[in-house]
Amino acid sequence: MRMEPVTAAQWHARCADSLAQGGRFLALYGVGGGGAAPAGLPAGPGVRALFAGPDGPRLLASPLADGTIPSILDLAPAAQWDEREAHDAYGISFEGHAPLRPLLEHPADLASWTVPVHGHDSHQVAVGPIHAGVIESGHFRFHVVGERILHLDLRLFYKHRGLERAAEGRELAAGLAYAQRACGACAVANSVAYAHAAESLLGLWPEPGLARARTVLLELERLYNHLNDIGAVCAGVGFAPGSMAFASLKERVHRINRSLTGHRFLFDTIAVGGSTWRVSPEAAAEARRELRAIDAEARKAWHEMLFNASVQDRFVEVGVLGPEDARRYGIVGPAARAAGLAVDVRTDSPRLVYPGFAPVQLRAPLGDVASRVNARALEVPVTFAILDELLDGGIEPAGMEAVQAETVGAGIVESPRGETVCVLEAAEGRVARLHLRTASFANWPGLARAAAGNILPDFPLINKSFELCYSCCDR
Amino acid sequence: MSGADALAGAIQVIGGIVLAPLLPGLVQTVKACLQGRRGPSPLQPYRELRRLWSKSAVDPEGTTMIYRLAPAVVVACMVAALLLLPIGGRSPGWPVGHDALVLVGLLALARFALAVSSWDTGSGFSLMGTSRDLTIGVSVEGLLLFVVLLVTLPLGSTDLRSLSDAGAGTTVWSMPAHWLAAAAFALVVIAETGRQPVDNPDTHLELTMIHEGPLLEYAGRDLAFLQWAAAVRHWVVLVLALELFAPHPASFALRLAILAAGLPILCALLAVVESWQAKMRLLRVPRLIGVGAGLCLLGLITWLIGGRL
Repeated sequence: MRMEPVTAAQWHARCADSLAQGGRFLALYGVGGGGAAPAGLPAGPGVRALFAGPDGPRLLASPLADGTIPSILDLAPAAQWDEREAHDAYGISFEGHAPLRPLLEHPADLASWTVPVHGHDSHQVAVGPIHAGVIESGHFRFHVVGERILHLDLRLFYKHRGLERAAEGRELAAGLAYAQRACGACAVANSVAYAHAAESLLGLWPEPGLARARTVLLELERLYNHLNDIGAVCAGVGFAPGSMAFASLKERVHRINRSLTGHRFLFDTIAVGGSTWRVSPEAAAEARRELRAIDAEARKAWHEMLFNASVQDRFVEVGVLGPEDARRYGIVGPAARAAGLAVDVRTDSPRLVYPGFAPVQLRAPLGDVASRVNARALEVPVTFAILDELLDGGIEPAGMEAVQAETVGAGIVESPRGETVCVLEAAEGRVARLHLRTASFANWPGLARAAAGNILPDFPLINKSFELCYSCCDR
Repeated sequence: MSGADALAGAIQVIGGIVLAPLLPGLVQTVKACLQGRRGPSPLQPYRELRRLWSKSAVDPEGTTMIYRLAPAVVVACMVAALLLLPIGGRSPGWPVGHDALVLVGLLALARFALAVSSWDTGSGFSLMGTSRDLTIGVSVEGLLLFVVLLVTLPLGSTDLRSLSDAGAGTTVWSMPAHWLAAAAFALVVIAETGRQPVDNPDTHLELTMIHEGPLLEYAGRDLAFLQWAAAVRHWVVLVLALELFAPHPASFALRLAILAAGLPILCALLAVVESWQAKMRLLRVPRLIGVGAGLCLLGLITWLIGGRL
């Protein structure tokens, strides 16, 4: 990965250059500048932006000028939450980002964080942070006229744990636990992203056995998440048989996870620098058999859903997030593929095993609920096929090979919800700054965009078609 | 008063008050079976009523008598509806009459009482549910009225006892109007009981709820009353469906047997529909009711041209 120190005055122009050269915005974060200066990076408080480019990711690092830096929102609207977060967590002012609404901070004054909506008959409906169900804490403020949603303001970050800050000063290997615990449902993706970042800092490259083990774990995680998310959409329209069928399939995958790794959610299966995970050929064959059985059942359950007109009727043209918006908002994962963007990090994951992988393409990617559900449903058989291939034979502990070390580590992994980015800066072999930008963090603003124009009773369905994680924000 | 009338009266009162919660319970049990779950027993609604009954009622701040009285009005409407509805075409002659139009009015009055209680609380979700309930209610009540009128056409009377008696035998089934009215009434049953595809009785998501909405602020005994009233709504529309549209002989004993067998069957049917049909888009519900109105209109036309099968 290339690292380029720039000055605050150059910041905006250099970000524009990176985007103009075919780059894509990946992450932006602030650094506090306390503690040991990270090797090879400008010391003191600053801001960093990560772009994906044709020649690999590129990190721009700039110090602040009087606590201020020009906003790049005009170049990359996807950086909206990143800049708001950097402002709240590090006190960085973004010149040109106005109004800079609080994101982590929760001021009582409503006007400070909501978009003003005026007009005849418009009113607000507030939902959460306590919900009528097992849902994490999040506050949704709808501006509506009758049942029609004009605008949605989100207030998340209710249970911010300061994981990124807590990881600072830890050994590189120990920092992984902080990234992993950011979220239960993406524990493997977060861990692998961290491990990739840490290993590129240490100059390590996975042996084929390690790459294979990690790919298996990532796909097992994707499998139970996708099955869960398709079932959740069924629950959203009150189609109980579908939601029950997918819930039972998901449970069976959890049981495979437990028998293979000892943990239903695959926690603590990834470590920096190698793997001690062992699966006997018999256990792998058994898991493979069970996965094939689940595959057959999943196809049947999907068939039931696909040919139920009353279910499909609810999905079409609801919660549309088209390709233009998806690109602007930097949407990732199945939601982006549902809008027709052929983005999937698995096509470019040399540290993992995805030979010849191609992202799923829908015949009619409209970006509505139907497309998002279909995108997941199409990915499920792909995941089954990958697992079937990779579980041919047991899994042995594996190590790493030495390669050239990098100044800054970045790990980019396709989690079940999309691209998860982990950036790691190190000082004296310890974590100086850990930044984890998960797919949920990237997609939340897109959900708010997709909800506008729909009716209020359809919002739970739209929400479930994205199935984003609150915990990923509260890292 | 004959023995049959007394027995019908006993079923009206005891059946309505005691057996009504069994109906939604049965629907839940059958639904669970269809989903491959063990599910709650059909007696679950009774347990919930007992739990709620032992809790005190709570009044939100700023509410007035309207909020306090609403559950009582709803319960009174339902009790009157129970007494008004003949069983097997018989009734001991309670002083409420047997007019079908009064029944429609009582169901509407119960809905109105809940709606004004929502206005009284001023709670956003409560009002949202109410506005949806009223939007759908307007068309459902209209449809119910239309069905009743269609059924009364051959008789020229809206007396439920004579209507029920007129349904005996096979003559009535030779009229297409009766078939069409039966089909339209099926839609009324689904909408009035708040079942899918109109409303999802299992959801507790504030944003999607319809019938649950106006109940949101109520707790304890008030909520017990209102949940019981919702169960009675099931009883009233299902018994009415069987009284008017179940093919039956004139014998009272056989009609009671049909009622006893018919209620669980209708509950199972509701469960099947609810498992197979997802909840409809809210703004499409009036269209579904419109289909019922279309059926009724067709029935009216066949009647006017003297249609016989």
